[in-house]
Amino acid sequence: MLSAFTLQMDRQECLSYLQMLRFIIRRLVITIPTILVVITITWGLIRLAPGNFYTGEKSIPKAIEANIREHYGLDQPWHVQYRRTMGRILRLDFGTSLSYTGQSVNVIIARGLPVSATIGMLAYLLALVVGAIVGSIAALKQNSKWDYGSMALAMLGISVPNFVLGPILVLFFSLTLYWLPPSRWEGFISKNLILPVITLSALYMAYIARLTRAGMLEVLRSDYIRTARAKGLSESQVLIRHALRGGLLPVVSFTGPALAFLLTGTVVVEQIFVLPGLGNYFIQAALNRDEPLILGIVAFIAITLLLMNLLVDIAYACMDPRIRY
Amino acid sequence: MAELYLKRVISVLAIASFVFSSISCRVVASNEPFYGNTTPPERNILRYVNGGEPESLDPAISTGQPEARIYMALYEGLVEYDPKSLDAIPAIAERWDVNNDYSEFVFHLRKNARFSNGDPINANDFLYSLRRALAPETLSLSASLAYYIRYAQAFNAGSVFVRDPSSKQFLLVTDISSGKSETNEPLSQKALGANESEYQSTSPTPAPDTSFHQLMHSPMRLTLPASEKARDKLVTSNPKLQSAIAGKEFVKVAAEDIGVEAVDDFTIRISLAQPAPYFPGLLAHQLFRVISRKVVEKYGSNWTDPSHIVTSGPFKLKLWHPYSEVVVERDPMYWDASHVHLDELHFFFSTDHPTSMNLYKVGAADAVVNHSVPNAWLDVVRPKKDYMDAAEAAITMIMMNVTQPPMNDLRVRRAFNMAIDKVTYAKSKRITKPLSAFTPEGIFVGYPQPKGDGFDPEQARKLLTEAGYPVTEKSDRSYECPKFPVDQVNFTFATHSSNQALAQFMQAQWKQNLGINVMLSNMEFKTFNQARGRLEYKGLALMIFGGDYMDPTTFLNIFLTPSGDNGSGWWDQKYVDLLAEANHTLDKQKRYELLAKAEKYMLDAQPTIPIETTAVNWVKKPYVKGLYPNPQSLFAWKFVYIERDPAKWDYGTPSLSD
Repeated sequence: MLSAFTLQMDRQECLSYLQMLRFIIRRLVITIPTILVVITITWGLIRLAPGNFYTGEKSIPKAIEANIREHYGLDQPWHVQYRRTMGRILRLDFGTSLSYTGQSVNVIIARGLPVSATIGMLAYLLALVVGAIVGSIAALKQNSKWDYGSMALAMLGISVPNFVLGPILVLFFSLTLYWLPPSRWEGFISKNLILPVITLSALYMAYIARLTRAGMLEVLRSDYIRTARAKGLSESQVLIRHALRGGLLPVVSFTGPALAFLLTGTVVVEQIFVLPGLGNYFIQAALNRDEPLILGIVAFIAITLLLMNLLVDIAYACMDPRIRY
Repeated sequence: MAELYLKRVISVLAIASFVFSSISCRVVASNEPFYGNTTPPERNILRYVNGGEPESLDPAISTGQPEARIYMALYEGLVEYDPKSLDAIPAIAERWDVNNDYSEFVFHLRKNARFSNGDPINANDFLYSLRRALAPETLSLSASLAYYIRYAQAFNAGSVFVRDPSSKQFLLVTDISSGKSETNEPLSQKALGANESEYQSTSPTPAPDTSFHQLMHSPMRLTLPASEKARDKLVTSNPKLQSAIAGKEFVKVAAEDIGVEAVDDFTIRISLAQPAPYFPGLLAHQLFRVISRKVVEKYGSNWTDPSHIVTSGPFKLKLWHPYSEVVVERDPMYWDASHVHLDELHFFFSTDHPTSMNLYKVGAADAVVNHSVPNAWLDVVRPKKDYMDAAEAAITMIMMNVTQPPMNDLRVRRAFNMAIDKVTYAKSKRITKPLSAFTPEGIFVGYPQPKGDGFDPEQARKLLTEAGYPVTEKSDRSYECPKFPVDQVNFTFATHSSNQALAQFMQAQWKQNLGINVMLSNMEFKTFNQARGRLEYKGLALMIFGGDYMDPTTFLNIFLTPSGDNGSGWWDQKYVDLLAEANHTLDKQKRYELLAKAEKYMLDAQPTIPIETTAVNWVKKPYVKGLYPNPQSLFAWKFVYIERDPAKWDYGTPSLSD
């Protein structure tokens, strides 16, 4: 995506740097209030949820509860608490986790992100490579057995949820064949990554295959492909330099949100495979009513999502000369 | 064309499903004696799936069981839990003396105990650890376990003493509540000298007398809430108190006032506010384990950071990878290091039961946390020789909101209890035991457990009819109870598949035997716990309660106060008095009998429907020895070892009695 961006910069018809810069700044400025609104809504929702981070199976004496509430300022009126929380967040300090005593939210996110991002990036790369190839083949051999076979598999990939696919893969590869470990994290380079990456990528692979196929079918019928062929370019040149670029456009717009979700952790896969990623932290934080951690992760996901969308828009502008900002 | 390929896809799918089903058939039909791989790890390590991520490595703060097990590796207290019975066994305290009514304890420390940084551990470290655990700013969630200790509750709650500014005399409890006889006071509060034979075990002599000891042996001082608002509320409702505190000053209860004393470097004396024969067993709890003052004061709340942490147990921290694992290794500084068998202990994090079981099956884990075997897997896993079959110090019950009609009527409550066939329910759960009494069955040896009402649908219908809700038999032999206010009774429980199954069973029982259709309502865990605690539920609420220590009072105390864990609203002074009487009784068997009397009294009032004594439900590899399925699933890790000779493996649940 970024390489596409740099490749395109020397083209005269691409937008000027100044235009581009203005667009980026405008978008970034809008991002700030958006994130504040997201945080405010999340903050309100946490308040509405019954129970507290210290609520457990067993009750605690009133005096201990009073100590805790006083310590964390929970005994103060809501607007005081809101002002304090927002003031802190504006200074980019998300505070310390309530349930993981003494651990800073920033550190927790910094710790979970590499795990989630590794799994997510690998899954997306796998999905992109396999999906684009399968989709292109399906488009080139439209209505052949290749087309029907791959699209049926893609449909299966979209319909089978990852909480079904994951355990099936574990059952087969771990519990029956004893080839791969069934779960757990053992570093960035290990066999433990294989099953979660496949499980996670299946859905995206299927989407990308379908998007590529649809995009390619449209492009292959367009005038500029005919022109390219008429110029006498070889079929592979036509495909790679012209068709694929246009055919992958729908995939690019899909990439932004998809990458944002993949990078920031996928709750289900991280749970099934016991991975110490952001998704796992997020779900536990919500169950624990760990307000600072929830707000921190929500803010982080929101920022990532908005930035990814911005990058997609920039990439779009560069890949499709018709788009102007 | 398309049709043809669709057919081909379907046939591929069919083959795939056949392959998978044949795999699962093989799992069911296998005759292997154990569940999965039984190759011991190459090194002397134990990999244990420990449940949830620990909240903190600070033993004073967290209450959870996963944390408790990690603390048991990292920290040691005066005593340790026995691996089988969970009774107190010597740890840093070599031995201890108990006074004649279990209200004062003297612990004699071993002189060679050391922290992981080599610093010696002495009595002052214990004094510091306990005071810190109880300090309000530590925010310990389990501090109430230490409330038996004199003034511990007052200090933890930030309460104040009342003192005369001129005479410096403190106001006493007896100054306010006259009438209570002196004889009821525990020995620890009677003046010294009045009872020469305070300690029966005279040799070796208990610790020498000190001025602090004299102070402890004086009547209880009055304590009042620190906040003016709470104090005023208390004072205005009690004119006697109002006049007593007029012109007096308030003095904050300090850490030094707590009934714990370092008599010398290796002797600790603990004075309780009431007799508690089970107190040494309680002292094994994480709250009482010793930490290093030097490190805590240097790093504050960051002291548990892996780069700073100093520990006192058989193992020390090697690595903490949050949400993945905690690895501890044998601590050469530990006083008994030569008897610690394992080189390393890996605590894995996983709350997903099938995932934990999969790790176990492939041999990536050597034992899993209690309740890991899903109910649906029991048929396969339970016959294996590595399944742990034993009772648990925990019960399942249904609390009833006695503050609202129709559950404020004892007859209705009894009817709902008698309409449940608990035996059949326990059979369907396979591993649990039906419970008609309240305390768990088969846990407290010698406890004469009373019997509650059994399954008697006929009597249940009669009781309901008497209460004004006639039950009539319909033509199809089913029952109906048209007058019963079904909109006032829900069965509320925390969302979980096993709770759902329980609720549906109970719902069917009430429908079948009483003709009452109780609506089920499930809530997210914390939402539910709050609703039950505040009596914000209609009719019935599920409760699963695990004991904190090995004495019936850990269960009976649920109804000691109207709030807290008591989610029923039932509270009776007579019940409180019965418990107090029992706790003042020195003879163990006599005490048990009195506790049983209290239990029977509560059962007769039926604020709750006991359902079952739960059972432990986990697996360990046969080569893991010294790990016993004790009633609280708390393991003293130093006794655990890896046995490489298959002839010495455990074939079946290891016995808890020999």
